[in-house]
Amino acid sequence: MVTKFTRRQFTGGILAGTTALAMPSLAFGARPRVAVIGGGAGGATAAKYIAKDSKGAIDVTLIEASKRYYTCFYSNLYLGGFRSYASIGHNYYGLSVNRGVNVVHEWANSVDTAAKVVNLGHGGQVKYDRLVLSPGISLKYDSLPGYSPEMHSRMPHAWTSGTQVQLLRSKVLNMKKGGTFVMVPPPNPYRCPPGPYERVSMIAHLLKERNPTAKIIILDPKPKFSKQGLFMAGWEKHYPGMIDWIDPDTHGGIKSINATSMEIETDLDTFKADAASVVPAQHAGSIAMAAGVTDGDWCPINPANMTAKADPNIYVLGDASVASSMPKSGFSANSQAKVAANHIRGELTGSRVYEARYANTCWSLVATDDGIKVGANYSAGPEKIDVVSKFVSQGDESADVRKATYQESIGWYEGITTDMFS
Amino acid sequence: MKPLWTVFFFATIFCLSNARADNLLDGADSGYGEYLSGECVTCHSKDGVDKGIPVINGLDAEVFASIMHAYKTGDMDHPVMMMVANRLDEEQIASLAVYFAALPGTN
Repeated sequence: MVTKFTRRQFTGGILAGTTALAMPSLAFGARPRVAVIGGGAGGATAAKYIAKDSKGAIDVTLIEASKRYYTCFYSNLYLGGFRSYASIGHNYYGLSVNRGVNVVHEWANSVDTAAKVVNLGHGGQVKYDRLVLSPGISLKYDSLPGYSPEMHSRMPHAWTSGTQVQLLRSKVLNMKKGGTFVMVPPPNPYRCPPGPYERVSMIAHLLKERNPTAKIIILDPKPKFSKQGLFMAGWEKHYPGMIDWIDPDTHGGIKSINATSMEIETDLDTFKADAASVVPAQHAGSIAMAAGVTDGDWCPINPANMTAKADPNIYVLGDASVASSMPKSGFSANSQAKVAANHIRGELTGSRVYEARYANTCWSLVATDDGIKVGANYSAGPEKIDVVSKFVSQGDESADVRKATYQESIGWYEGITTDMFS
Repeated sequence: MKPLWTVFFFATIFCLSNARADNLLDGADSGYGEYLSGECVTCHSKDGVDKGIPVINGLDAEVFASIMHAYKTGDMDHPVMMMVANRLDEEQIASLAVYFAALPGTN
């Protein structure tokens, strides 16, 4: 490898000297190594941008167990019949072939942060100079009173996409005429704040077509939710009388869930479900816990570059991080990945590091051609990621605007999945 | 100083500044534009595919800059694009314009 002098290394002998000491692999001519754990919106984007922008100067290894990745975003549209299951599945050939990323389909079992090594499930190791952790969420089953392993198959959480969503769709399709679907959303903070309510919209859409006397009950642990006014107005308009959202003040809290009898007991009543989706509370993906970069359930990060507060060699992206004021969304993770990738290149090759700029938009589909959205852009504040400006769909928008919003969301899916995987 | 050279020099400067009557592309830095483009390509397909969001690859740089300024002033109306444009300064818009203009378009 030819080490190029860049503006950053050129700024002074002291800095250049420090850089060489900090990067022994560079000093000996080997390519610096970045390992990325997790091939979702954060990890795939980070791997791509580091490989693409460093033009081969950085050796990038992406560790992702699945060979085919099903996006969580748009899995609700599959539930509602607006997308095929195949259309939300993606592979890593693009990253491997176009970008030269080493894609390893393995579980990451543990991280030795002192030796800078990721230990893989089969016993292999991946060494790194910088590590990107983008493991998403793990579910806290003990957050559900009466949890049993049967819950997976009988009341699918379907919160990590894939076969759980297929299972949930089949449960809804098989409901008896006039049956009851119960949705138990997770408590804050969780992946995809509008997700449970878009899910209810999509299930209502399906039932309206096939089982119009069916009912949906939402037993929410939260007193309010994302885009609440827009969702509830949409439900009244498209599915009048079908959906009953019950807040915790009214139901008094979930006392027990019985997956065998399909009964959910609250202070208010015991609800018998013909089909249900129960989404537990969440914490950072297990590998982030194992790497020791969490504080409580999530990983605190430095807003300027997404490095973990606990380890400057580790970047934490997406749902696993505490990136407030940003929501836990695929768009957020994709945006954070670009900031981290730019910073990692600067650290390892001396390329220019620009100021952090973050953005997010969450589109949701309420019914056919009725799309809504909420979004913001952000900058790095001293303590957290601060909102610069924001917007949300208005309640009095025309049908044309809502249709355009939905069509825009289809364009966004094309855009972000191209950005992640090609 | 050679008079003829001086005339030529100032004539060139005049022509350049005239060509950029609106100064839309002043201060453009394509490398910075590439970094900033990360925010754009989450939605605008990098492969130049329009499935509901317009392709911006290969867009004429002045057209690009004019559109962004129109979102900034509110002459064009779209909540996401107005938010995006509002935090871009003129140099950032120029940098993005020059970067995207250099990408192969769809046609």
